[in-house]
Amino acid sequence: MDRTTATLTGLLARLSSLLPAGRRDWAEALLAEAAEVPPGAKQVAWLCGGLWLVAREVAMGNVIRACAFAAGAVGLVWIGWPGASSNSATPLNRVYVTGAVVLLAAVPLVVRRYFGPVRRGWAPRAARVCVYAIVLMLIAAKAVKDRDGSKLGTYFAIVPAEWILEILLLLVIVGYVAGLFILTSQRIRLSRWSLPIGIGLGVVTAGALYPLARFGFGSAGRWWGLAALVLPLVTSVIAGRLAVRDTRPGVLGAFGQGCLAASCATATGALLLAALTSATIALFPHQVGLEADGKSYIAAGGCETCDPVNTVIPRNLRHEYWVEISVGQAGTGPLAAILIAPFLGAGLGTIGAGLAGASGRRRRAGSGAQAAALPASFGQLAGRASDADRDRAIGVLKTAFEQGRLTKDEFDVRVGRALSSRTYADLGELTVDVTTRLQPGG
Amino acid sequence: MARRSGFSAQTLSVLASLEADPAAWRHGYVLAQETGLQSGTLYPILIRLAERGLVEACWEDGQPAGRPRRHLYRLSSDGLAAARSALAEHERLQKRRAADAERARGRRVAVKGA
Repeated sequence: MDRTTATLTGLLARLSSLLPAGRRDWAEALLAEAAEVPPGAKQVAWLCGGLWLVAREVAMGNVIRACAFAAGAVGLVWIGWPGASSNSATPLNRVYVTGAVVLLAAVPLVVRRYFGPVRRGWAPRAARVCVYAIVLMLIAAKAVKDRDGSKLGTYFAIVPAEWILEILLLLVIVGYVAGLFILTSQRIRLSRWSLPIGIGLGVVTAGALYPLARFGFGSAGRWWGLAALVLPLVTSVIAGRLAVRDTRPGVLGAFGQGCLAASCATATGALLLAALTSATIALFPHQVGLEADGKSYIAAGGCETCDPVNTVIPRNLRHEYWVEISVGQAGTGPLAAILIAPFLGAGLGTIGAGLAGASGRRRRAGSGAQAAALPASFGQLAGRASDADRDRAIGVLKTAFEQGRLTKDEFDVRVGRALSSRTYADLGELTVDVTTRLQPGG
Repeated sequence: MARRSGFSAQTLSVLASLEADPAAWRHGYVLAQETGLQSGTLYPILIRLAERGLVEACWEDGQPAGRPRRHLYRLSSDGLAAARSALAEHERLQKRRAADAERARGRRVAVKGA
């Protein structure tokens, strides 16, 4: 038993160095207390509790996130890096996977520096994890697809213009990630549903479009077009409507939220579809349909003179050449859609949000009391108020002012006091005479 | 309704044992004994309470002979107010629940009698 406690004590002392500086005291305190605990099972239980504490605190910190990203990065490099030196896509792929890993690791750090950590709640975290997973999958799948499409390296020389386009695409994808991190950060104030609605509708649309054409646009091009029109309009209307109900001060207006949600929806949809189609092509390259030119070549029996495009390729390689051309070309439509999707979404979202805003305003006139009945009275709660509580109190005051219960001067004074108040009781004092009469039936 | 104050039952028990003698500094093992909580539950609670400014924590002055220095805890003034109102709220709730149960029993008896 002595040895067990000694081992546990040593382990705990060593592991506690993983904790952030502010938390190390607590692990040390727990260790110091261990001397008080009667030796034997109780002491072992006490020390095990300490290990549990460290595990909990470390898991809540960055370690799990860093490990998950490292695993994803290793997977990406493992899939994307290999390639024969004769394959013209190999250098591009290597630049791609390294660039992607470096940029994706840097984005959270840079965004955190300027926009603060992730916003509270499940949606922002879930969105970040999902988008990282999608981007890693997209880049890995694209690398495999490009490799399969360039095995005859000498005939698929990658020209500078292509390099520029490919690097641009990578930067756009990283731009998506940065945009997402900014939208899910603490400094950006969105109402609770804008982001889940945008991303959720984007995912649903992509899920519906994917079975129609698994290797790219194919014959489902018109459905893509339709979705690109309908998705942002619908998203902006719904998100705009819901955002109107959010009366907290400092929250972005309904119009802005509608546009942002629409942009999120199209961006997510395009990204997910590109990832899914690229992955399908990477996994099943032999099922990709042949290009029209290649098809007519094969149909004609693969003769020397009936190759419609060129005579440079040696005869024995022509079939392989057309297969690779087809694999390389497949899925470029969805990839190109990534470039324009967010702008299209924002543009159409403006229209949708405008429509939603106009009808929302008409409907809201005269229903102010309903919105004001929302907040609980703060007076009964004990303890310290949070920023959200202060915002809620200011929302109450705002409604009261709009309804003529407070003069402008009173309103200004009270908002100032609400911002500097520290406890629920302070907030209760500020709102009690305007909330009591707003409570339904009270 | 059950958790109006936002504190869990375990946190309430920690608050109750700190509130029993608010001026005294306690150390972790004493609290664990009083509340019956495991160290792995007690310390996270203390950390959250300290971060919310409800509990003050400090290291014991000087180096005592024969044992390591203790980390000591007591309620801050905000913590005391919060603990008192949360405990009062909890007690009110318990009483109401007991009364409800009593009434329900009475009703059942009445139904049986009828």
